[in-house]
Amino acid sequence: MALYEGIALIQEKQAVVLDLGTDYTKFGFTGEAAPRCIVRSEFWSAAERRLRRVHDYATPDELYDNLVHMLHLLYFRHVLVNPKERKVVVVESLLTPTLFRETLAKVLFTHYEVSGVIWADSPRLCALTLGTPAALVINIGAKEAEVAAVVHSCVVLQALVSQPLGAHAVHAELARLLDEDNGTTLHLPDDVIEDIKVKTCFVSPLERATAWASGSPPRAARSVRYSCGARGSITVSGRARELAAEPLFVRDGELASLPDAVLQSLARCPRDARRALAGNVLLAGGGGPARPARALAAELARAARAALRRAPARAGVPLPRAARARQRAGLAGRGGTGR
Amino acid sequence: MAYLTQPDYVKYICSCGQLKPITSLYFCRHCLKIRCGFCICHEVDSHYCANCLENMPSSEARLKKNRCSSCFDCPSCFHTLSTRATTQQRQVLQDPAAGGDTKVESKQPKKMYYLSCFNCRWTSRDVGIPDQPVASGGWPERTNPHAARVNQLIDYYKAIAQQEKQEKIERERKKFNIRGKYITLTDKTGLTGAMARNIAGLPSSESSSSAIANFVPSVATAEVEELPEDTFTKEVNLNQITSMPQRLASPDWQPVCVSRLHPLAKLLSVKRSQRCRACDHNLTKPEYNPGSIKFKIELLAYYHVPEVKIISHEPVKSGEKTALFLKLTNPTGHEMQLRLLQPEDIPPPEDKEEPKSIDKSLERSLVLEKDTTAFKAIERQPNISATSRVTSPGVTLTLAQRDDAAEYDDDAQHDTNDIILWRKSNKLGVRLEVDTSEDAVGGSPARALFALQYSYRNTVPPAPSAAHTRDHTLYTTVLLDLGTVSSN
Repeated sequence: MALYEGIALIQEKQAVVLDLGTDYTKFGFTGEAAPRCIVRSEFWSAAERRLRRVHDYATPDELYDNLVHMLHLLYFRHVLVNPKERKVVVVESLLTPTLFRETLAKVLFTHYEVSGVIWADSPRLCALTLGTPAALVINIGAKEAEVAAVVHSCVVLQALVSQPLGAHAVHAELARLLDEDNGTTLHLPDDVIEDIKVKTCFVSPLERATAWASGSPPRAARSVRYSCGARGSITVSGRARELAAEPLFVRDGELASLPDAVLQSLARCPRDARRALAGNVLLAGGGGPARPARALAAELARAARAALRRAPARAGVPLPRAARARQRAGLAGRGGTGR
Repeated sequence: MAYLTQPDYVKYICSCGQLKPITSLYFCRHCLKIRCGFCICHEVDSHYCANCLENMPSSEARLKKNRCSSCFDCPSCFHTLSTRATTQQRQVLQDPAAGGDTKVESKQPKKMYYLSCFNCRWTSRDVGIPDQPVASGGWPERTNPHAARVNQLIDYYKAIAQQEKQEKIERERKKFNIRGKYITLTDKTGLTGAMARNIAGLPSSESSSSAIANFVPSVATAEVEELPEDTFTKEVNLNQITSMPQRLASPDWQPVCVSRLHPLAKLLSVKRSQRCRACDHNLTKPEYNPGSIKFKIELLAYYHVPEVKIISHEPVKSGEKTALFLKLTNPTGHEMQLRLLQPEDIPPPEDKEEPKSIDKSLERSLVLEKDTTAFKAIERQPNISATSRVTSPGVTLTLAQRDDAAEYDDDAQHDTNDIILWRKSNKLGVRLEVDTSEDAVGGSPARALFALQYSYRNTVPPAPSAAHTRDHTLYTTVLLDLGTVSSN
């Protein structure tokens, strides 16, 4: 019976969900628990004989070509459906440049002639997976970490805080630490850095992080020999493993760290929503190393205490009681609940 | 001239403005225009497994999530897994009462199968998947750990959407129907809304609200899982941790350690058919059989547009004229008249805007002519920055039709002159000159531009209504890559 598609007569076809991230693209169908594919946002350019990243563009025409090629790859290699007959849900950050958004619309409508597109912002879709009325979504992406408060499926726009604290910041710090460990400039490619990050790095507890910063470093974790093929092997010291994710948490004069971003976002929210938001923190995105939630909770508490000390006017900010972590690459791509 | 692995030296300008070698161009016989992969419409034609070459109907492919049921990829290195057979002695049942019969049976070895990767030596036994008694299929399937929760969420939001819709309808009805002028069915029969809903087989409004009532939102926890105690002391075994591609190959589970890897069902491939955007005719249509590489419809430019190859050329010098030898081939089954022109000489495509009459517009609306505005949006100005020009000799060259038997004649016709080097069946060697401008800097890429005018005989059976001309004069622009401008 199912083969007859009796349901399809009543219901329209499943729409596709597209999340074109800077590093990874998530593509799948609505109503499914996971995206069909999570692939790097790059495609083989036959003219230039190299892999091209979708987000590397100088002119609008170049971006148009990139998107055409990337979508062709996604539609005909991974998801295997006709673009014409499916509606599209585009998952994107609220801070997507207008040029990108408009070019994507042009590509979808004129080039692929899709029957309909809805633009959905990723914080809202992340919050939908919880079913709670209020959630503070921290999305650690490739370039930026975005903190957005979602109250009853509406993003509180004035409370949107974004800081360049994504995977790239972690990668840059890890590359620097690895250079220090090995005494040379290694120039490791980005995917090797990422591999080292996911395999070895972790976020150390707050006490240890402060101890590292204080000058009396604690006993470091075991170092790892990482072999990178023909280049021989390199040492990943315990220090590098622990401190790679520190850029996300280090406070500077501008209060641009991740905990500060969370507090700033909370402070800009309506007063009556703050308590509910602080009690429902959702960590999403695949940018950070493994399990940063624990560290974030501790750091949030520290930052909140510091903020209270420093700015008594902000006393309305309650201490974050909990952080619920659900770190999965491409959680936003699960916005299958839209229908 | 096009190569598989080398750069393309001769590029044609597609009607959409893209520069492509002739091997990746199409020719629409209905619009009489060159098309390329960028300006045509791709469609999924049929699904098949690239490993077992098994066809799969699209509805079945959709059910199986575009995965082959019998082929698997290695989760470690993504190579195709092979099924290996082992013989396994069946467990001897120590049953004293049964006597000799069981003994005879137990000696029969039983074949068991497991999956193994010949590339990285990963086997399904590594991760504790039990061997299977059948060679194909029957491998345990895993479901997404969050599937139940996601379905619950979908039901919840559907219920909310339905409720909101209903509320809206109620509101509308109240607004317009304050004092019912007409007796409705429900008034007359005393049928309540709930009963009518029940009779119609629609879910009652209570059931939708039960999905809402039973829904439990996710609860935040104050305890965040701590780092394992041995994080700072344990040696990290990199071989036990999966890499990012390994994790992302199975988006549902994203295993973190190697012991959780699971064979990946092979993703199907598709055969695509191509369609002209302007006239909706098929340009290529593959045969249904996955093993066949033939096409039912194959309108490639290679079969319709004269092919240009570079035989040899002098190094290009700025401000000078250099020699260039080209080979022109007529791939069609009809004689072809060729002229070399300058790109500016191509007459602009005449607007076929007939005087508008009611008849015409009616006819047009009946024919449902394709809206070509979308195609206009894709077109763009070709990027041709050529410093050199191929001088046009101003003579019309005639190319004989393609004749496969002529390959075996060796008497080349020798009507050679200043331009024609040699002539052999449907091929022609020509001697031309490249005129390079003064301001071409040494070392910059030398690219020469020229236009081709060629006659084309259309063999499509004419549509009954349209006035039909069989012979057409078509134009195309060709860009030659002649290395770099020599610096002296």
